[in-house]
Amino acid sequence: MNRTSLSRRAMLGLLAAPALLPGRGEAQTLPEVTSIPDALKGSGELRIATFGGTMQEVQKRAYFEPFEKLSGIKVRDFAGSDFTKIKAMVETGNVEWDLAQVSRGSVMNLQRRGEYFERIDYDIIDAGIPSVYRFEYGLEMLVWAQVMAYRTDAFRGAVPKGWAEFWDTKKFPGDRSLLGAGSGNNPELEFALMAAGVPPEQVYPMDLDKTFASYSKIKREVVKWWETGAVPTQLLTDREVVMTSVWNGRMAALQAAGVPAAISWNQGLLKRDCWAIPKGARNRAAAMKFIAYSTMAIPQARVAMLIPYGSVNDGSNEYIPESRQEVLPSSPAIKSQLLTYNYDWWVENRDAVVARFNRWLLT
Amino acid sequence: MSEAVAPALLAAPRAPGLNWRRAVPLLLVAPLLAFMLALYAAPVLAMLSRSLLEPAPTLAHYIELAGDEVFLKVFTNTLSTTVTVTLGTLLLGYPIALGMARARRLLPLILVIVLLPFWTSVLVRSYAWMVLLGRHGLVNEVLLALGLLDRPMRLLNTPLATQIAMVHILLPYMILPIANALRQIDPSLARAAAGLGAGPFGVFRQVTLPLSMPGVMAGVLLVFVLSLGFYITPALVGGPRDMTLSMLIAQRVEQLDWAYAATLSAVLLATALAIIALFQRVFGVGTAFRMSAR
Repeated sequence: MNRTSLSRRAMLGLLAAPALLPGRGEAQTLPEVTSIPDALKGSGELRIATFGGTMQEVQKRAYFEPFEKLSGIKVRDFAGSDFTKIKAMVETGNVEWDLAQVSRGSVMNLQRRGEYFERIDYDIIDAGIPSVYRFEYGLEMLVWAQVMAYRTDAFRGAVPKGWAEFWDTKKFPGDRSLLGAGSGNNPELEFALMAAGVPPEQVYPMDLDKTFASYSKIKREVVKWWETGAVPTQLLTDREVVMTSVWNGRMAALQAAGVPAAISWNQGLLKRDCWAIPKGARNRAAAMKFIAYSTMAIPQARVAMLIPYGSVNDGSNEYIPESRQEVLPSSPAIKSQLLTYNYDWWVENRDAVVARFNRWLLT
Repeated sequence: MSEAVAPALLAAPRAPGLNWRRAVPLLLVAPLLAFMLALYAAPVLAMLSRSLLEPAPTLAHYIELAGDEVFLKVFTNTLSTTVTVTLGTLLLGYPIALGMARARRLLPLILVIVLLPFWTSVLVRSYAWMVLLGRHGLVNEVLLALGLLDRPMRLLNTPLATQIAMVHILLPYMILPIANALRQIDPSLARAAAGLGAGPFGVFRQVTLPLSMPGVMAGVLLVFVLSLGFYITPALVGGPRDMTLSMLIAQRVEQLDWAYAATLSAVLLATALAIIALFQRVFGVGTAFRMSAR
């Protein structure tokens, strides 16, 4: 699960920055926070580990720099957040990060083995964040989507909608790729189930027999079980596949480069990154204040304006222009088409799924 | 150097109890040896011990391994890829090494051509092969233009793509030791063989080839051991079922199942060591390094 993040870090690093970061003129329209409650002010420093790349640049502008000015707390950011490193830090008592960007799956996975994270103080968290993004040891702070993407020149104008059509190789002929189980990724069992006709709201808990029966129907057409975000977009660009699953942020760069490809949001997965405080972090009070600040409506909207990832705060939408909403997984029109990824199910079942996936694919 | 040491060194050959000629090389190697033991051997052993000690002293992980269908499949796949790639680099590399040994003016040019890819990252070279081998890539376009194909052939995302890219990446490791061995062959030996009536092929088969064998063995060994651990290239250009042992290890590390990951790593290491031991036994690979040390 951590490698998902690592791969996404690579992806973010590789994103074509000019296409995504608005120019100076547009940057001035970023909403600003003018004052914060005293409860979020403090002193000293805060060490934050992120996934690096373009995302880290965005995070600096969106909330690291404003937070420093408003709170009086100095932010030091590091690339290379990694849950196995947090495990080692906590076990050796040498905690170098006060706050880390990780996935909920990683947090819960470690938390099952011991005490690796601090509890979140929900008293100071903004009310605009729905309960689905809150959990005991972390708060989700970035929304992204794993969705279907297709070559718009492949099917004479026909638009594939939903996974049953992705599985329909007669109506939409051509090779495909899907996410595999390598590099810490979880294969997209949800898609296989929806392809078999299971309605999105009944996907969890997932029936493995049904899932793999569905996968078997498309095994021959899947020429690549990808494991890094660069691969599916490369395959689309090179016309190696006509359809694939992708991480939504990747597609913006592809479309900016003029590749005739588009996202089909319907039945995609709504995934998230979260903030978590490693157990025993020296500046955990400052970390809590920063979590509260960065998930407020305006700091969240600033991120969404700078990179095509969404906000966890329902209040952000009023700060984001209509045209921008069209590419954000958190905008109401898109979010309603997505299935909320269930980290709890995956933490419980991942080992069994990976073992079965390997067996299904290789033997 | 202090004056007290110098006479001792000079006197060394005459003092049988204190063999300085032997001791000096050992002393020179000592810092590296200490470095390797502390920072390499010790962590590796600590990691491998997990396979026997977690959660309690046990052989369970190795027993599980023997019955693990996925492991057996991945292991045979890794081995067969390794053998193919080694043979491929040998067949392509030997003629180039021969050319390098014979070339005089062109040598710098050939050297640059051989080494240039060597200095490029594996990731970049793998992506380059994605572009070349694609359905609309250079290879297919050329074959189509020449009329050799009616429609694009699937090259990318196949085991063949992995093998081609790995051969390319590992070629320098084969060429350089062979070229080195070839250059050390006394040219008068070939002339003598020719003078005794051997044709060009006879000279090659009876003189050049046997004398270059230490280089060949060193190259084969290097390529074989290196290809056992490949990860990025098969992941990027390989087929949907091309899983290598290192991918399987990475998967278990991510699952925090470090005991089984260590077990798989132990198998990988044992395979490499077994190959080295086999080569040492059958071909006496040491000669390759003795030659270049001369």
